[in-house]
This record gives sequence, structure tokens and C-alpha cells, in this order.
Amino acid sequence: MRREVLLTGYGVRTAFGTGAEALRDGVFDGRPAFAPVTRFDTGPYRTDAAATHGPAVPLREVLAETAAAAVRMAGLPAGARADVLVGTAGDFTALTRFWRTRGRDADAGGAAGSDGAGGAGVVETVPAWQAAALADALGVRGTRLAFTSACVASAMAVVHGCLLISSGRADTVLCAGAYLVEEENLAKFGSGFALSRDGAVRPFCADRSGLLLGDGAAAVVLESADGARRRGARPLAALTGWGVAGDAHHVARPHPEGAGLAAAAGRALRGAGLPRVGYVNAHGTATRHNDPAETRGLRAVFGPYADSVPVSSTKSTTGHLLEAAGVVELVITLLALRDGVLPPTAGFTEPDPLCDLDFVPNRPHKADLRAAMTVNAAFGGVNTALVLERT
Amino acid sequence: MITAMSDASAPPVPGFVESTFSPLVHAAVHRCLGVAPPGDGARTAIVLASTVGDATTLDTGSRSLVAGQAHQPLLFMQSTANAILGRLAVDLAVTGPLLSLSTAVPDDVAGELLTTGALLLETGEADRVVLVGVELAAGDRAAAAHRALGTVPPAEDLAVALLLDRDDPVPHLPELPAHPPPAAPPDGYGTLRGLVALAARNQGTPP
Repeated sequence: MRREVLLTGYGVRTAFGTGAEALRDGVFDGRPAFAPVTRFDTGPYRTDAAATHGPAVPLREVLAETAAAAVRMAGLPAGARADVLVGTAGDFTALTRFWRTRGRDADAGGAAGSDGAGGAGVVETVPAWQAAALADALGVRGTRLAFTSACVASAMAVVHGCLLISSGRADTVLCAGAYLVEEENLAKFGSGFALSRDGAVRPFCADRSGLLLGDGAAAVVLESADGARRRGARPLAALTGWGVAGDAHHVARPHPEGAGLAAAAGRALRGAGLPRVGYVNAHGTATRHNDPAETRGLRAVFGPYADSVPVSSTKSTTGHLLEAAGVVELVITLLALRDGVLPPTAGFTEPDPLCDLDFVPNRPHKADLRAAMTVNAAFGGVNTALVLERT
Repeated sequence: MITAMSDASAPPVPGFVESTFSPLVHAAVHRCLGVAPPGDGARTAIVLASTVGDATTLDTGSRSLVAGQAHQPLLFMQSTANAILGRLAVDLAVTGPLLSLSTAVPDDVAGELLTTGALLLETGEADRVVLVGVELAAGDRAAAAHRALGTVPPAEDLAVALLLDRDDPVPHLPELPAHPPPAAPPDGYGTLRGLVALAARNQGTPP
């Protein structure tokens, strides 16, 4: 028998700052956070715009900050047993620093040994180290594992946490994800012509031109209902459905009918025992291929209900958070559920005729939500869906 | 259980450049499933695990960035393991879960893969799971990272794939000798030696 999965704590950081109030002021108010990046020279890249918060800091610091907030909110005792599952590709700033330092060492004629100056911090480039370091920082005991599945990485971590708890293999799991804007991905996404050309992100609009990157980190504490009850923990919501499915269509483009996304969302709905939800936080990257495919996938899964399910992309305010997208957008969905407010798709102009759902344009709506879903998609045609319900 | 291995002689995969990481995964999984009875792609999962991942692709991109050169679009595409998993999904019509993991417990690529495979089978997420461990022989950055982690890279680029089926018991790992000192891996398989031992036991050959 499947055990109930409860969410008992969260921590979050985006370009708007740290915590739920920063999200309410920015994301829920429909205020894009994009501005010229000042933490490095953007001259070589196709855009200087991204959604950043302050100077560059190590990825491990934002993971530790958001996870500590989640643990505090959940009231987990020190030294608790908890698996730590982190969606991350490692610290890219440390990667650039390694090769810059190596180049300088070589120019100086010197001693570019493997553990030279460039080697300091090199371990932070390894995803698994980030998970282990986070577990050590929290002082929790359990499995430490990094999920490296690009834009669904932290959503995968949450799905895995749900499987561990629902199957009785774990009582408590901390799921996290983090990404901070840096040069490596600005170069990569630029080379793939995926970045917005005009400094704005307009998902589902006819004049959309691509995505912009954003800082993001979040952590959630998931617990079995029995475990939470024993501790007297206050559940914030129940995770009642989850799904993962592949497109089997193309290495870099989504299935044009959103087949994998529909399959993942369908599994999540069936798991929750629901025919529909009151809100969907979409992947909504504002790229040419994603948005129509996602629209078709959501239409397929909701069928006759599709026109009455509000769908928004909060990447229009936060930017694309890459490995952190899944868990940050889960927290945004949680706030929507608890506050009864739908975050808008900001900067919405004219809808693409191929994108014909209720995209909550520009202004937040009030809504009495019982259940909400967040969906994500990634390279390789990998799709995830998570259903949250009020407790 | 069906097992297969691939090494640096794996044939190239169109669209994947510079690094052997994706061709290794592609060859190992194809060899593994190539001898398996046909299965339902919707009920098949593929789980990839590595400690450092595709260091060649990341380092090639980073070095070109530091040198002020434009980034190669193909390196962007292949910089996530999702890309080769997506390619395999297309080849093999797999629409079940595709996961990629990074684990740094010495010798535990195999343990984490088996645990994850068992979880997917037992929770009904899949009826069969292809597990693939992959690690590249270390370049400068990966070598420094392995030293700091206390893990050992294989002497040569290597991937090992295993197919688990719902109807077969999930295998236990063979007992391994104490982890060798980082400077001298006697068997040359590094973080993949648990998988290699499992494959050898399955095939009845010495590792």
C-alpha cells in the first residue's frame, strides 16, 4: 500500500531574494527580474540579461541556506535521518575558475600541477559532492545523491523522494536544487540560439524569442504521514501524484504533441486520483518548440477541462533556473495553493495561435485551489509532473 | 539479468563529438538490450550513474570559453547526459523514466544503481530497468576531483550496462576487496569495479 507523502518545510531563493515574501512580491506580482548581469563580463555573449541576485556565491552556500530554512520550517531535529537528493550539475563558476587558473599557471611557466591553485574548489564541480556537502552541512544521516537530468533534475529528485517515502524505504527526504547564473551556460545557451533577443521572456506569446537564465535554489522536506504525525509536524501540503515519462522523439526538441509531458502529467493525475487540477505551473520556456508542444500536451491530458485550467509560466519573472527549476516551481505552486493566488505569466502580449490555454496573463488571479500541478521538461525528451493537494 | 560493457573502442554516435562518454553509454546499452527479448518501451526505464560525468565535454567547453572562443553548439547539446539517454530512447522506443545520477561514495556507483533500479521495479514505475555506469579515465580536472572525493577513476574510459527485469531478483553486489588507494587501482576499473564484478559473475568470467 502506498504511503502518503507530506511536504513539511521549504526554503527558496530566486533573483527576488530569499523566502516566500520575496516570491510573493516578485513572481506573484508579475514583475520580471531581468537586468544586465554585473557579476562577470557579458561582452562575449549573445545577451547581457538574466535574473540574478547579488554577486556570485558558491552553489553550496545557496543550497545550504535554502535547505537549512526548509529543515527549520519542518522542525527536523539535529542529526535526523534524512536522505538528501539534489538536482545540480555542479558549480560551473568553479569549473571556469579551474581552467582560468590553469591557463594563468601555464602562462606563468609554471607549476600547473593537478592540485595547483586551479584545483582549489575543483571538487565543487562534481554534482555528487554538492549533495554530500549539503548533507554534511545539515548534519543529517542517509543517502546522498545528485540528479543531473538538466532542466528536470530537481523535479526528478522530488519524484525520487516521493518513491522512497511512498514505498516505505524512507521516512524523511530533503529534496533540493540550485543553479546560479554563470558564464558557461550563458555561452552554451547562446550557441544553441535559445536565449531571448530582447531581454524579456514571454512564454506562450506570438512574439516570444527565447529564455533568459535566472538564479534559483530551493529545498523541500518530504515526510511520511506517520513520521510527520509522530513528530507533531504541521504539513503544508500533500504530494499526491507524480509522473516521469520520455518523448522518444528527439535529442533536443520536445515531441510536437507533447506526448511525454502528457504521459507524465497523466500518471501524476492518476496517482492523485484526480481528473484535473485548479492550476498548472508550466515549464513555459518561451522557446519556439517548447511552448506549443507543452500546450498540446496539457490539452491532451486535461481533455474537456483544458480550457478551464489556468496555466502560467513563472519563468517569465524568475528566468530559467535549469537544475533548480523543478523544486523552485514546486515551491511557487505550493504558495499558489496555500495563498489562493495564481502567479501570472508576466510580459504577456499576444498569444501564439498554437498556444491556446488560459495563461493567466500579466496579473495574478485569486482562486480557491484544492490541487495544483507543476510540470517540467528537459533535453532528451524527459518530462516530469508533480501534484500538490491541500491538507 | 543481462550485462554488457563498452570501452573507448565504442563506435561514434552521429551528433556527439569530442568525448567518448555518450558513445560508451550508447554502445553498452545497445549491446545489453540487443540480446534481450523485446520489451514494452513504455514500461522500460534507463538509469545512468557516474561520479564525475562527461568531464571531456564540460572541460572542452570551458577551455574554449576561457580562450575566448565561441562555444560549439553540439557541445551544448551533449553537455547533459539527457542527450544520449534521449538518443537511446528514440533508438529503442523507450518512453519510461530516464534518470541520470551522480554518486560519490567509493565503489557505490553499482550500489546506487541497483538501489534505484529496485525502487523503480518495486514501485511499479517500470517493468524492466537498464542500469548503466559510466566513467571516463581522468583528465586534469577529473583527476583532481577524484582525489578530493577519495574515489578512483578507471584506467580507461568504460561503461557497463545491466538489464534488470521485474521477474528476476535484483542481484546482490559481489563482495569487493577494500577500496584500493587512489594512486594505484589494481583492477583498473575504479568507481565501476562493482558493476564489472557483477557483469563478470553474471557472465561466468573473471573480471
